[in-house]
Amino acid sequence: MMPDLGVPNEQIILAAQETLYMVFVSLIIGSIIGLILAVILVLTNKDGILRNDYVFVVINTIVNIIRSVPFIILMVFILPLTKLLVGTRIGTTAALVPLVIFIAPYLTRLFENSLLDVDKGIIEAAQAMGASHFEIVWNFILPEAKASLILSVTTGTIGLIGATAMAGAIGAGGVGDLALTYGYERLNFPLMLFTVIILVIFVQIIQSIGNHFAFKMRNH
Amino acid sequence: MIELRHINKEFVVKKQQVQALQDVSLTINDGDIFGIIGFSGAGKSTLLRMVNALETPTSGDVFIDGVNINALSHNELRQVRKGIGMVFQSFNLLNSKTVYDNIAIPLRLNKVDQTTIDKRVKELLEFVNLPDKANAYPTQLSGGQKQRVGIARALATNPSILLCDEATSALDPETTEAILALLKRINQEFNITVLVVTHEIQVIKEICNRVAVMEHGRVVETGTVLDVFSHPTEAMTKRFVQTVIPERIPDSIVANLQADTRHYELIKVRFLGDTVTKHVIYEINRTLAVETNIIFASVNQLQDSALGIFILQVVGDEATIQSVKEFISQNGLEWEVVKV
Repeated sequence: MMPDLGVPNEQIILAAQETLYMVFVSLIIGSIIGLILAVILVLTNKDGILRNDYVFVVINTIVNIIRSVPFIILMVFILPLTKLLVGTRIGTTAALVPLVIFIAPYLTRLFENSLLDVDKGIIEAAQAMGASHFEIVWNFILPEAKASLILSVTTGTIGLIGATAMAGAIGAGGVGDLALTYGYERLNFPLMLFTVIILVIFVQIIQSIGNHFAFKMRNH
Repeated sequence: MIELRHINKEFVVKKQQVQALQDVSLTINDGDIFGIIGFSGAGKSTLLRMVNALETPTSGDVFIDGVNINALSHNELRQVRKGIGMVFQSFNLLNSKTVYDNIAIPLRLNKVDQTTIDKRVKELLEFVNLPDKANAYPTQLSGGQKQRVGIARALATNPSILLCDEATSALDPETTEAILALLKRINQEFNITVLVVTHEIQVIKEICNRVAVMEHGRVVETGTVLDVFSHPTEAMTKRFVQTVIPERIPDSIVANLQADTRHYELIKVRFLGDTVTKHVIYEINRTLAVETNIIFASVNQLQDSALGIFILQVVGDEATIQSVKEFISQNGLEWEVVKV
């Protein structure tokens, strides 16, 4: 059986659930925001089909600024916004706000690269067919970038797992928080090791799933 | 009919202004297979892209069936583009979609119903001779097969114009032949105007009826392929034409001629069309009593006609040679004196 980790098993299971909850909710919201911003960046850049320097520079700068703020500082910095949006500054749900704000620009960059990798010739072919701007994105760019987008989501997800550990600072709970408060601060080495193993397993599973689908898409 | 009127195009590349097209005017008639030839950087692809407004001219106008396409709104332009198919050197197929879905895309964009799409895609696959590849992905196809898919996709919406941007440049010679034959069939069976951009004179020779030769953003020569190939006037055109219609005396023969101390002249005779079969050389020898040696000869098929080039060494005195020249002229053939 399991060695004594100094905390009840239920607490560990709860922590795992909290981590999964934070990762997936913020991932879904962050992906939607990230994808929209990435599409806008790709369309409005200087080689884009809807070149707009103003829009591009504004979004690009905002993404850069947020990306340069360390997550722990970002979290504290936006506490008033968190309070406004979810009604509380602490807890698992409150952590979603900084997590989304952290991950959305990160995913924007990753998605932007995925979309930029789409052959310019494909876009030209789409234009030659008389496709509208929306059709070019929906029927050409996104399907062609799909495999690469999946890998971007995978990378983003793993980044998020790391960020949730720090969200413990505002009482978000989760595996990372468990490792810090019960493992690190109480010098409970077995617990710390155990949580690290859990996180390694999480990351491995996510990366494998991502690779699997991306590979399948590329190799039919 | 496609009319390009006084097209100028300037690009700014690294803060340097580049004149990609300079005062280009061309008319392409319905049913033409019109070839645009030039080396890379001559501006031919830019010119082709003017026709579906993927490029817009800095000045000048593009008319398609009398409509100035540069004056259209984005949505009106999209409608015009739906009537113009385009085939690319790098195929530009979606690797994430099957052959079937690639060909179906333009139809789906036009909100065509699934039954019609099904019928049309099968028909097109049949036409481009890939009936069993519907469920293959582009990465599983050879270059020639990919281009067939590209052509099928371009034809899906029954366009009246087909633009080919170096469509055969990435293919091996044998595949090139097959694709060219396909383009010719498209032109004949569906009466689609085909506009071909290429750096391979072979392509022009095989399928085009009219040609424009481009150099440094200008059209330096234009006309029917027969005219341009039989009478290339620009140095540029001559260079291209000579690669498919040779008229150079082999070096070993040049050496022999230089050693020949008799009085002679070299006369290059061009035969066009049915004059090729006239027995002019036989008549010269029979009636004029001169020695004529054929130093060089080539006969080439050009569309439905033939172009023959003969270089004759005519040995004899000044007067006799003069009468030979007159005789050739009387027979309606063109000639010129060449030197070694």
